[in-house]
Amino acid sequence: MKLFSKKRPEIPIVHHTKEDGSAWTIKEKLCLGLSIDDYKKQFIRNPVNWFMAMILAIGIPLILGRYAFGLGWVTHASNDYPWGLFLGFGLFGMVPLSASGFMLGTTVELFGRKDFHAIERLALLNGLLGYFFAVVFLEIDLGMPWRLPYPMFVSLGPAAVLFLVAWHVATYLSVQIAEVLPALFEWMGWLKGKRIIRKYVLGLTVAGIILSTLHQGALGALFTYAPAKVHPLWISAQFQWIHFFVSSIFGGLSMVIIASTLIINFMNWRCDDDFKDNLDYITIGLAKGASYAMITYLVIKLVAVAHDQEWTYLLTGWGSYYMLELGVAVVLPMFMFALGIRNNWVTLIRFGAFITAIGIIWNRLNTSLICFNWQMYQEIPHWKEVWITVTIYAIYFMTYRFIVYRLPIVYEWKGER
Amino acid sequence: MLKRKRIMRTALVLSTGAFLFAPGHALSMEAEDAPESVTIDAMAKHYEPVEFDHLLHVDYASCQECHHHTTGVKVADPDCIRCHANSPEADEVSCAECHAVDRFTTKYLLTHNDPELYHIDKPGLKGAYHLNCIGCHVIITGPTGCQDCHTMTEAGEKMFNTGKHAPAKGASSDAHH
Amino acid sequence: MKKLSRRNFIKGGLATTAAVAVLKEKKSKASGDFDNYPEGMGVIVDLTRCVGCRSCEAACNKEQGLPEPAVPFDDFSVFDYMHHGEKRRTDETAYTIVNRYNPPAIDHPLFRKVQCNHCNEPACLTSCFVNAYTKTPEGAVIYDASVCVGCRTCMVACPFYIPTFKYSSAFTPRIMKCIFCYDTRLKEGKPPACVEACPQEALTFGKRVDVLEIGKQRIRRNPDKYVDHIYGEHEVGGTAWMYLSSVPFDQVGFDTHVPKEPIINSVKEFLAMVPMVLTIWPGLFVGFHLLATKKDRVREMEKEAELKKAKENDEKEEQA
Repeated sequence: MKLFSKKRPEIPIVHHTKEDGSAWTIKEKLCLGLSIDDYKKQFIRNPVNWFMAMILAIGIPLILGRYAFGLGWVTHASNDYPWGLFLGFGLFGMVPLSASGFMLGTTVELFGRKDFHAIERLALLNGLLGYFFAVVFLEIDLGMPWRLPYPMFVSLGPAAVLFLVAWHVATYLSVQIAEVLPALFEWMGWLKGKRIIRKYVLGLTVAGIILSTLHQGALGALFTYAPAKVHPLWISAQFQWIHFFVSSIFGGLSMVIIASTLIINFMNWRCDDDFKDNLDYITIGLAKGASYAMITYLVIKLVAVAHDQEWTYLLTGWGSYYMLELGVAVVLPMFMFALGIRNNWVTLIRFGAFITAIGIIWNRLNTSLICFNWQMYQEIPHWKEVWITVTIYAIYFMTYRFIVYRLPIVYEWKGER
Repeated sequence: MLKRKRIMRTALVLSTGAFLFAPGHALSMEAEDAPESVTIDAMAKHYEPVEFDHLLHVDYASCQECHHHTTGVKVADPDCIRCHANSPEADEVSCAECHAVDRFTTKYLLTHNDPELYHIDKPGLKGAYHLNCIGCHVIITGPTGCQDCHTMTEAGEKMFNTGKHAPAKGASSDAHH
Repeated sequence: MKKLSRRNFIKGGLATTAAVAVLKEKKSKASGDFDNYPEGMGVIVDLTRCVGCRSCEAACNKEQGLPEPAVPFDDFSVFDYMHHGEKRRTDETAYTIVNRYNPPAIDHPLFRKVQCNHCNEPACLTSCFVNAYTKTPEGAVIYDASVCVGCRTCMVACPFYIPTFKYSSAFTPRIMKCIFCYDTRLKEGKPPACVEACPQEALTFGKRVDVLEIGKQRIRRNPDKYVDHIYGEHEVGGTAWMYLSSVPFDQVGFDTHVPKEPIINSVKEFLAMVPMVLTIWPGLFVGFHLLATKKDRVREMEKEAELKKAKENDEKEEQA
């Protein structure tokens, strides 16, 4: 696309109309303004797409097999470890990284920080896609995925934490769709729709933050149902939900930094000047927010250890692992952020964000898989389970890329808004 | 004439005394009163009835070890002596008289609502037999395997998926892989 | 209108008093107070009696229509079976299994029957978001496969690792666990199949309060024979199936670190937060918003004031 955008001034598309005054059709918009042949050429030229093709070539049949033959065909069918990677990574891992939606929505709309406006839509999209694919992962994992609406409409068990998660994720997904729709309507040219939604922005944002607080916390609270099964250092009946909520703050912000880094480096042709000029400033701002959340998180982790008198556990092998996780996943990137903010080293911040995101996934996998059943044997997921997880993530990546290539996420629509 | 009267009177006193005092003494059942063999078939379903060699066991154990106090022999357990120190022999000594076949039916369990019931832990017939018999056989070497005392019936083989009804070799119902 | 005679008044008064006296006072209970329904049944499992004959496994298999086992039920090599260092556990083909243990202090093995403990306040029930579990008045914890979505949270929540999932099924998976033979027996007051099958009466069935009393009496009468503890009396808030043992319970495979309170108690800390967030957050964040946009609103107000002033001046000038 870089080459095409250099050759033809009207690519990439930022207007409803071409230079000669005729309107772009939706089909043309979908093909990025290129002819079908040119589109295919740029698609095949991209090595990332070969990698994706390889993953999907095996992954798609595996997913079909999961539905045709049952979960026992793609997992170890463990009754001791009922939850595997689909939930451990797909749900528990991706949801905190998708907290960017309510974070930036709150920052820009609620706190009035218009200086973050350029990244707002990317953060909202990041949130929406993350939650959407978390639900996809859930549908892969559920024994009876066709019964997904049951806790909402068929048989309600309101006392359960998962009930809250189900309702909130469903509602929050709707909120996020509403928050991202303006970008779609702009691109499509249906401005009335956009204006209707913009009227409710404040309400949607407040709803978003209420819902996010509760379901980010609820995902942590799920593990309080098994207080004896998770290693004491990774579970706290009183504070688990705060741990998960606060870590989602710096997780979501870090994910936005990562996404914007990838976009500015590999999709530079798509970004407009407003985005490119402000990205460094915004990245530093996001890092500031993340580091506040990180120090808060470390303090609450310390409080949890003190509250349950778990000091002696720190002296065990598991304790060393715990401190390694905190050190590498939180303390190290926090210092990287601090240094980067102080000295304007944006690259250091970006590396820190990358480590943070990995760290969040590491923490969630620890809580749900590795330090789960800590007194029992360790379950290693089936290779098919791993491959399917990677496949869905690849599809998430491709969907993300598809939308950012087209919709006004990292650029402003120059046409009528 | 006087001599005969004296003899008769002595005889009367002696016989009266014998009838009066005798029950106080250990006029328990004798080993000879016991049946030679007992067929235990009250619950025969998965296993054949047991042909119990009673005569053999009379040599091994004292009556009270199986029949508690019902044969008039004094029980050994100090907990039982508290109430049954002088219990006479009962009309029936068969195990099934006190140990119910249907120990866990609603009807039987209702008897536990009686606040004055002392023997709340009385096993049913099947439990009583096995606990008592195997309990002793473990101490004094005896048959302890299921089929040592009663062979399995066809119904039993079906229930246990054994013998003719055993699963095919190599068949696995294990879902785990 | 009927004339209210003295007789009728007294009759009515008596009837009302009688009704009030008969109506039971409704007591509300917090969690952890629930000691099972008063007529709830229970079973006490005496490990000193079990000889590992596996009749209970066989009876359960037939009663619940479970698949044919891999090996016959009188094959005792299964006691040697180890999976990743763990002994046998329930799975989709077995609602109950017996394991053998060799405690160091005694010269003979002990056997333990594993099955759903039918807790008074079950973790599976409290964690289920589609209400698939019910604690029946008879004491059984039963499962409704028609509403289950297969999320497997109950499997995570159960501290005893009992519920199993039918992973082998693609279109009709479900949770598989002991249901106290509720459908076929308990509903009609009959004992479960395993209890009926046990030759040694290692399983004593009756009302939970009664079998608990039996267990306590056994300990009282044989203090040297039993450890002075009934597992399940208070564990996780009390269970309907309880255990007696002659050796410390952790030597025969019991988890002695399960909480003494129902599992729901460790979740309530979070559940209490939910209404707080729902009520406080809106006000709090709208407040933040008003604070954050204060400068903008002040600026707007000043602008409006200026415009108004300018307009007034213009009007004055026009008049002049």
